[in-house]
Amino acid sequence: MSNGRDFDPDIEKFKQEFKKNIKYLYLAVGAILLIGFFTSSFYTIEPDEEAVVIRLGKYIGTYPPGPHLKLPFGIDKLIKVQTTRVLQEEFGFRTHSTRERRTSYAEDNFDNESLMLTGDLNVADVEWVVHYKISDPFKFIFQTSEPITNVRDVSESIMRRVVGDRAVSEVLTTGRKDVSIQARELIQEVLDRYDLGISIQTVKLQDVNPPEKVRPSFNEVNEAKQEQEKVINQAEKAYNDVIPEARGKAEKSISEAEAFAAALINTATGDAAKFLAIAKEYKVAPEVTRRRLYIETMEELFSRMENIVIVDEKVKGVLPIFNDASLVRAEK
Amino acid sequence: MQQVKLIVIGFIILFSVIIVSGSVFIVTEGQLAIITELGKPIREPLINAGLYFKIPFFQEVRYVDKRILTWDGFPSEIPTKDKKYIKVDTTARWRVIDALKFIQTVRNERGAKARLDAILDATTRDVISNNNLVEAVRNSNQIVKNIEDAKREIEAKKARGEAVVEEISGEIEKVTIGREKLSEIIARDAGKELESFGIKIIDVQFRRISYEKSVENKVYERMISERQKIAQKIRSIGQGERAKIEGRVTKDLQGIESEAYKDAQVIRGNGEAKAFKIYAKALSFDPEFYSFVRSLEAYRKSIGSKTKFILSQDAEFLRYLKRTK
Repeated sequence: MSNGRDFDPDIEKFKQEFKKNIKYLYLAVGAILLIGFFTSSFYTIEPDEEAVVIRLGKYIGTYPPGPHLKLPFGIDKLIKVQTTRVLQEEFGFRTHSTRERRTSYAEDNFDNESLMLTGDLNVADVEWVVHYKISDPFKFIFQTSEPITNVRDVSESIMRRVVGDRAVSEVLTTGRKDVSIQARELIQEVLDRYDLGISIQTVKLQDVNPPEKVRPSFNEVNEAKQEQEKVINQAEKAYNDVIPEARGKAEKSISEAEAFAAALINTATGDAAKFLAIAKEYKVAPEVTRRRLYIETMEELFSRMENIVIVDEKVKGVLPIFNDASLVRAEK
Repeated sequence: MQQVKLIVIGFIILFSVIIVSGSVFIVTEGQLAIITELGKPIREPLINAGLYFKIPFFQEVRYVDKRILTWDGFPSEIPTKDKKYIKVDTTARWRVIDALKFIQTVRNERGAKARLDAILDATTRDVISNNNLVEAVRNSNQIVKNIEDAKREIEAKKARGEAVVEEISGEIEKVTIGREKLSEIIARDAGKELESFGIKIIDVQFRRISYEKSVENKVYERMISERQKIAQKIRSIGQGERAKIEGRVTKDLQGIESEAYKDAQVIRGNGEAKAFKIYAKALSFDPEFYSFVRSLEAYRKSIGSKTKFILSQDAEFLRYLKRTK
C-alpha cells in the first residue's frame, strides 16, 4: 500500500496541473473547431461553373458563380459543374495538345471509331466532333451514371445511322452539311429520352475520306477527270486554230466574188452607155461614120506594123516569095 | 470511485457512438436504399434522398443505384442472314426498376452485368443473324429513292446527249425493318427476359457495325475496282469528246469552205448574168453596128506590131491606092 501512497501525490499534482491548464485545452479545441467551421463553410464558384448542393444526401439547389456559405463538416456537399463552357468530344481522332501555336493531334489511329458502313455497303472514314453544354447540372450528375459515355455512345450510333442512309459518294461530297445537321438533331433526340441534362450545340464533320486502302483509287478518278479536261481542251484548241481562219478566208472569197461581180456590172453598164451614145450618133450619118471608124482603125493598125506586103489581086501563090524563117519552120 | 466513473462514462460514449452510427444513414440523390432485417428486406425501398434511421445491429442498409446505367457489350462477330460476317458492337442503357427483385436475384451491379452480357449478346446475335446486313446498316429507303432520282437524271442527261460520268452500279436492296427498329427489337426481347431481375432496358444502340477483316478487304477491293472503272470511263469519255471535236473541225471546215465557194460562185454568176443583160439590152439597139465597132476594136487589140500582113491590092483599105474613085 505504501507504493500507492507514494503514487497519490503524483496524481494529485497532475490533477492540479490539469485543472490549471484545462482552459488552454478548451481554447485549442475551440480554435480547431472554428477554423474547421470556416474553412468548410465558405466556398467560391468560378464564373464558368455552377454548383449542385447536397445536404445530407438531399439535393437543395444549384448555385450560380460567386462566394457562398454552406453547412460545415460534410453536412452540405457541393459538386461543381462547368455549365457555360462548350465541351467537346472527338471521334476518329484526338487533339493531343493545343498549347503550341499549331494544334497537334494524337498519332494513333482511331479507325474503329471512324470507319463506317454507308448505305451502298461501302466504307467511309468519317471524323467528327460533338460540341455540347451541360444544361442541367443536377440531371447531369444524378440522371445517368456515365453521362459522357452516353454522349459518346449515342454520337457514334447516330453518326453511323445517318451515314448508313446515304451512298458513299454523297457522304464524301455533297452530303456533309446534311449529315451534320441530321446527326445533331437525332443525337439530341436520343439524349432527351435519357433526360440527362445535356444540350448538343453542334456536330461538325472533320475529315471525311474513303478508307486508307481505297484512297489512291479515288485520286485516280480525280486524275482521270483532269486528264479528260485536258484532252477536251486540246481538241478545242485545235478547233480554234482552224475554224476562225477558215471563216475569215470564206468571207474573203465572198468579198472577192462580190468585187468581181460589181466590176463586171460596172464595166457592162459603162460599155453599154458608151455604145448607146455612139450608136445614136451613128444613126444620124451611118455611112460616113462607118467609113471613118474603119479607116481610123486601119490607120492605127497598119501604122503599128513593121512589115506589110501588098500584092496584086491577080497574083496567085504568093507564099514562095517569103523567105521567112518562121514560115519555113512551119512548112517543115 | 473516480476511475470507475470515468471508465463508465467512456463506455457510454463509445456505446452511444456505435448505436448512433449504426442507426443513422444517408440516402444520396441517385440512390435508393433497402433495409433488411437479418437478410430479409423489410418495408418499401427508400426512394427519396435524405437522413434515415434504423435499428442498429439487426437491420442492414443496401444501396441501389437508381440512375440510368450503361452496359457496354463486347464486340462480337455475327453472320447475317445473307451470310456476311460483321462485327457488332452494342451498348445499352438500363436501370433498376424493382430494387427488391434486383437485390434478391442478382444482388448488385456486377451480378446484373453478367445477366445483361448473356441476355443482350444472345438477343443481338439472334436478331442480327435473322436479318440481312442492310437492315442493320440503313434505317430508311431514302437512299433507294435518291438513287432512283439520280438514275432518272442520268437517263435524262443521256437523252440530251451529255456525257455521263458517274453511273449508279447495281440495285440497292430495300430495307423492311431498319437499323433503329432492329435495336428496338433487341431492347424489347432482352427487356422481357430482364424484367424478372427488376431491370428495365431503356435502349440498345449499335455503336459500331463493321465488316469482319477478310470481308473488309473484299469490300475495299470492290471499291477500288469500281473507282478504276469510273476513272477508265472518264478517260474514254474524254477521248470520245476529243474525237467529236475533231469531227466537228472537219465538218465545219468543209462546210465553211464549200459554202463560201458556193456563195462566191452564185455572186459571180449573178454578176455576169446582170452584165449580160445590160449588154444585150444596149446592143440590141443596133446589133449590126455593134458587131462592126466591136470588130474594129478587137482588131486593134489583137493584132500587134510583130504581125506580118499580106494585103491584097483590092482590099477596102487600099481602095484609093490604085485609083482615086
